[in-house]
Amino acid sequence: MTAVLDALISILLGGMLLLNVLGAQDVVAEDSSMYQGDVLVQEMLITQVQYIEGEFRNMGYGLPPGRQTILAAGDSSISFLTDIDRNGVIDTLTYSLGPTSELSATQNEMDRYIHRQVNSEPFTSPAVVTFFHLQYLTATGDTLPGPVTGSDLSRIREVELSMEVQNPYALYRPQGMVVPGERNALYSTSYWQQTRLASQNFRR
Amino acid sequence: MSTGQTLLTIGAFILLTTILHGVYSSIGSIGTDISGGQDGILATTIATSYIEYANGLAFDQATDTSDVALTSPTSLTYPPGPEPGETGFDSFNDFDDLNGFSDEKTAGGSARKYRTLFTVSYVDSTDVSNTVTHKTYLKRLDMKTWRTFPAPGTDEFIDTLRTSIVMGYFHFF
Repeated sequence: MTAVLDALISILLGGMLLLNVLGAQDVVAEDSSMYQGDVLVQEMLITQVQYIEGEFRNMGYGLPPGRQTILAAGDSSISFLTDIDRNGVIDTLTYSLGPTSELSATQNEMDRYIHRQVNSEPFTSPAVVTFFHLQYLTATGDTLPGPVTGSDLSRIREVELSMEVQNPYALYRPQGMVVPGERNALYSTSYWQQTRLASQNFRR
Repeated sequence: MSTGQTLLTIGAFILLTTILHGVYSSIGSIGTDISGGQDGILATTIATSYIEYANGLAFDQATDTSDVALTSPTSLTYPPGPEPGETGFDSFNDFDDLNGFSDEKTAGGSARKYRTLFTVSYVDSTDVSNTVTHKTYLKRLDMKTWRTFPAPGTDEFIDTLRTSIVMGYFHFF
């Protein structure tokens, strides 16, 4: 009788332990996915920001002083002049936000390309973001309402660049954990906001 | 179950509990590190924004409104600091106005707040890592940026981001 009782208690305790270990494994797997996503997103954001800010800082490179540098300035697009390949010929560089439909194959329904076009060449897509917003400031720090047009384009001295990058692949949650109005999946997110990006060529 | 078996079982429990505790602690630690990475990104966005601002300022009050090239640093401001009436970003006009200034900013896209403390010093022209107590043609802005909101958790440490830029006096003829 004692031996049977011992066996039953052992099975019970062993079962509890097994459940505990399995639970820990689930937590490890879930957190590991989330952390990998976070790291990936942070790396993506920094790489993309370095690239875009680097080109924005060179706005007006090679232009004679006094010549208008920015040709068009919208909330999510900008077109400016610069000698991109340093060959003495001024190029027109355009950045614009693509539609979400271009990345409909990914799980994240909000991600979209940032397109980059040099002159009239076919555009490339150096970045994938979920948010991209540009704001323009004058020399005195006043915000110009977008889209900036006409003579106001010559008043732009600083650009505020805001970008958000999310993981294209989701960590799905059980339906019971989703609060109404929330998305049904978790996405790692990282945000960047450069509030006073100014080309050194604007300071001449 | 004999006493030996009971002790062995208790030992196994302790071992398993220790391992599980280690696993959970490790996960928590990784999470804190990654959260710290996001903190670092936001603090960097703020610090670089201030750097852009500082780069747009004149080298000194004496050079802000004058087109005459300095031939000696004696006419520069000492000690570095704002002139009367210069109380914030809207009124600062030269690099050393930032000395002693402190600003709190909410990072875009989040509710996190970061405070930045500014210190401006003259530096040795042969070694910009050395601050000096006399006027030179080089000034260094040191910034310390750290998160003030949300406050750190009980087991969380907040890093302070330190950034510096050096501005030198130049004049176009």
